[in-house]
Amino acid sequence: MELPSHHSAFCPECFFVFFRRQVTEGIRKFSLISREDRVLVCVSGGKDSLVLWDILMELGYETEGLYIDLGIPGYSERSREKVLAFAGPRGKEPIVVDLGREGVPIPEAAGRSRKEECAVCGTVKRYFFNRIAAERGFTVVATGHNLDDEAARLLGNLLHWQEEHLARQHPLLPETGGGLVRKVKPLWRVSERETASYGFLKGIDYVLEECPMSVDATSLVYKEALTLLEEEMPGTRIRFYHGFLNSKPPRTGTFLRTFLDGEGRRHGTEEKAGDAEREESGEAPDSCVACGAPSFAETCSYCRLREKVLHGRRKAGGR
Amino acid sequence: MIRVRIPQKDREIEVPGPKRVMDILEAAGVRPSTVLVTQGKRLLTRDQRVEDGETVEILSVVSGG
Repeated sequence: MELPSHHSAFCPECFFVFFRRQVTEGIRKFSLISREDRVLVCVSGGKDSLVLWDILMELGYETEGLYIDLGIPGYSERSREKVLAFAGPRGKEPIVVDLGREGVPIPEAAGRSRKEECAVCGTVKRYFFNRIAAERGFTVVATGHNLDDEAARLLGNLLHWQEEHLARQHPLLPETGGGLVRKVKPLWRVSERETASYGFLKGIDYVLEECPMSVDATSLVYKEALTLLEEEMPGTRIRFYHGFLNSKPPRTGTFLRTFLDGEGRRHGTEEKAGDAEREESGEAPDSCVACGAPSFAETCSYCRLREKVLHGRRKAGGR
Repeated sequence: MIRVRIPQKDREIEVPGPKRVMDILEAAGVRPSTVLVTQGKRLLTRDQRVEDGETVEILSVVSGG
């Protein structure tokens, strides 16, 4: 296993040691998870999230998996099978949220709300990550975002000067009063290729196909740009993201705003006056009048989305 | 010939062997840093030689969304 960015190459056994050290150091550096935490690991059936769950179990953390069935025909069934096949032999039974049963399958929700699938998916996932964690007593939510994901996101945020997104981009998003559970990205130090190698060498069977909704995702363009830079100048990706993290602390308040409404100030018309000040101060959110979840708006972004889907169905049925 | 399977693209090609992994990737038009090259349960490195008649798989590691 060659690692040009580290000027190294490893045999499988030494690579496992390297990978565990990277994840352990990533957790330690920002105190992402403690031994007392109950960790809800969000698993999609892909390599990153299953590797994350595997290594957190191996490192001795108390974990349970959460799988959200997005309601994408074919892909969701195959992803769910991979998650169940991973969990069973390890004595785990993942928590499953079925968006079809919840009334918000992603393809339909995106169509009826006239929003991009990935944006809708993000809103719904964030909602259930927090809701399931809060309802079932988990102290932290962990996702499988890796170094490539975070560097690509950073590049996109910089190119478009998304200041509020830059402010909240961090492997640690702390818990708050008002019901938001801590959110962490323990794989932030390892690359996509390293994660895939670890999964392959450990025999983890993950879903190989990409989500059909993400084919045109802009993050792929940023990843390709960083790949070009990395091939010419090995280590660029690590220096880029680590340099960014070393230059700033996480800003909880700004994170809150974007966490709750998904796309930040682009939905400013739906915000109450004074939200910008509230988010900067890290003030605790109120509760959604419909579901009770944390929200700065009267009704949370998930409930607004769900209402659009139901409204669309009623309208279609009434024709 | 070396059989090269690319399951995520549902594609299969054949290239004359023997060849180093990096040359197979070039023939397949794939960036080495974006994939794993595997043979059964083995992960191959770029300078490893693949013999005529053998089969390898190229797995993309890049995910979007």
